[in-house]
Amino acid sequence: MRDRVDEVSRRRFLLTAGVAAATVYGCRLSFAADVDPLLAGRQLVRYPEKTDLILLTARPPQLETPLSYFDRAITPNDAFFVRYHIFPIPTSVDLDQWRLEVKGHVDKPLSLSMDDLKRFPPASVTAVVQCSGNSRGRFAPRVLGGQWGDGAMGNAVWTGARLQDVLKAAGARASALDVTFDGLDKPAFPSVPDFVKALDLQRIMSDPDVIVAYEMNGQRLPMLNGFPARLVVPGWYATYWVKNLSEITVLTDRFEKFWMKPGYRIPDTPCGCVEPGTAPKNTVPITRMTVRSFIASPASGTRVAVNQPVALKGIAFDGGYGIREVQVSDNLGLTWSRATLGPDHGRYSFREWSATWRPTGAGNARLMVRAVNGIGESQGYEPLWNPAGYLRNVIEQIALVVD
Amino acid sequence: MRLLTAAVALTLVVTSAGVAGETVSITLPPESIALDAGRGMDQTQTSCRMCHSLDYITTQPGGGTAQWQGVVTKMMKVYGAPISDQDAKLIAEYLATHYGPR
Repeated sequence: MRDRVDEVSRRRFLLTAGVAAATVYGCRLSFAADVDPLLAGRQLVRYPEKTDLILLTARPPQLETPLSYFDRAITPNDAFFVRYHIFPIPTSVDLDQWRLEVKGHVDKPLSLSMDDLKRFPPASVTAVVQCSGNSRGRFAPRVLGGQWGDGAMGNAVWTGARLQDVLKAAGARASALDVTFDGLDKPAFPSVPDFVKALDLQRIMSDPDVIVAYEMNGQRLPMLNGFPARLVVPGWYATYWVKNLSEITVLTDRFEKFWMKPGYRIPDTPCGCVEPGTAPKNTVPITRMTVRSFIASPASGTRVAVNQPVALKGIAFDGGYGIREVQVSDNLGLTWSRATLGPDHGRYSFREWSATWRPTGAGNARLMVRAVNGIGESQGYEPLWNPAGYLRNVIEQIALVVD
Repeated sequence: MRLLTAAVALTLVVTSAGVAGETVSITLPPESIALDAGRGMDQTQTSCRMCHSLDYITTQPGGGTAQWQGVVTKMMKVYGAPISDQDAKLIAEYLATHYGPR
C-alpha cells in the first residue's frame, strides 16, 4: 500500500518536475546563489568569528551557511549559521561577571560561574542544530518569515554539563512541570516578548544528552552561536537551543508565553502539515526534526563530462533515530541506488554519505537524494506545507549539465 | 591568531587557571540595506528600524496591501511597535507599492 502511494506521489511529482526541469541553470561555480533563485542577490558577509556567510538579516543577525559546507559531517564553527530573534544581542561577555542562575521551584537556587559549570562531569554529544524554518523560502505558496535557503543548520560536537545534573544540584522539585531558559539577548522595548523557551522537566530528567554546552567542536562557542554557554537539545529544532544562556527557571505550571505560544507551533496533525494555503484547527509546539538529506557536492549547475565518474557527497540527518540508509536517483525516482555511509557519529549527528555517478548521455541531468532513518521515516516527492514554513523534508535535488 | 582580527577583541586578563578572566567582545557590522525611494519611505524606515534592519522587509515574498497591512498590524499589536494608525496606513501602502507581488 505504501509503495503504491509512493508511486502515485512520484507521478504527480514528475508532472511538476517537467516544468521545473525547463529552468535554465547558470554554470558559474563560485556560489550557490548563481543557480538558486532564492539566494540570488543575497550578500556574502563576514561577521566577527565567522567566515563568509549568506546574509539574511543584519539586526538581529541571521546568517546562513553556504551549502558547500555540507559535504562533511562536522560544520566548522566559523561557518556555522546564526539566528537571533530579538535585539540587542550580547556583544561582550566577561566570564568574571557572567553567571548562570538556576532558580524557581528548587530547594537550592544556584548562581553558577563558568568554573562551577565545568565542575559537573563533562558530557559530549554530536548533534545537528537546525532552525525550524530552515528552507522556508522554498515553500509554495510562499509564507512570511525568515526566507532561509537550506543553510540554517549545522552539526557540531557539543561539550558541557548535563542539564539533569544541574537541576539535581539545584534540587528541582518533583512537582515542577516546565523549565524555562533565557539568554542575554533582550528586547529593545518592553512590549517585545523576551525570547524564553521551555522544556518539560520529565523530558529533561530522562534525557542525559540535553546539556548546557560551553564547547563547540573543542573550542569555546563563538559569541554569535551562544558564548559562553547554550542549551543543546539533540534531535529537537534549534528554537530550544537557547544561546548566551543566563537563566534557568523551574516552574510549577506550563509555560506558554509568546515564543512557545503562539510562536513555534505546528498543525496538530500526524504530518504537522495542512492543505497548502489553509490554517490548522489546532497547533502544538514544534519538537523533533524530520528526515532530511542533501547533495552538497558537486554544486547544482556544475558541468560534468559524459562517461566520466562524478563523486557525489552530502549529509543526511533526522530527529534522533539515526540514518539507516541514503539513496540517490538519476531518473526522477524511478530507481534508487544506495549511497555509502560515512562514519557514525551517533544518532543525532549529520551522517556523511558518498556515491559515484556516471552520466551516460549529454544534456541536463537531475540527481535526487533521500534518506531513511532508524524507524523507517523518509522524505517525500512533494513538500508538506504548513503556514509557518516549518518541518521541510522534501526529497532534495541538484541539476547538472553533462557535456 | 584567527580570532585576533580587527573585529574581535579577545582579552585575557591575568588569571590563575582555566577560563576565568576571559572577556569576549565583538563588533557587529553596520546595516547596509536601503529601501526604494517613494511616498511613505521615511515613515517606513523610521518605524521599522526601531526594532530591526530593513532586510526584514526586502527578503520577504512580495505582497499586496492585505499582506503588508497584516504585517504592520502584527508589529503594532503583537510586538507593541508605537506606530500611529495614519502612519500604519501609509507604510502598508508604501510596502505594497514597492515590495508588491513579484
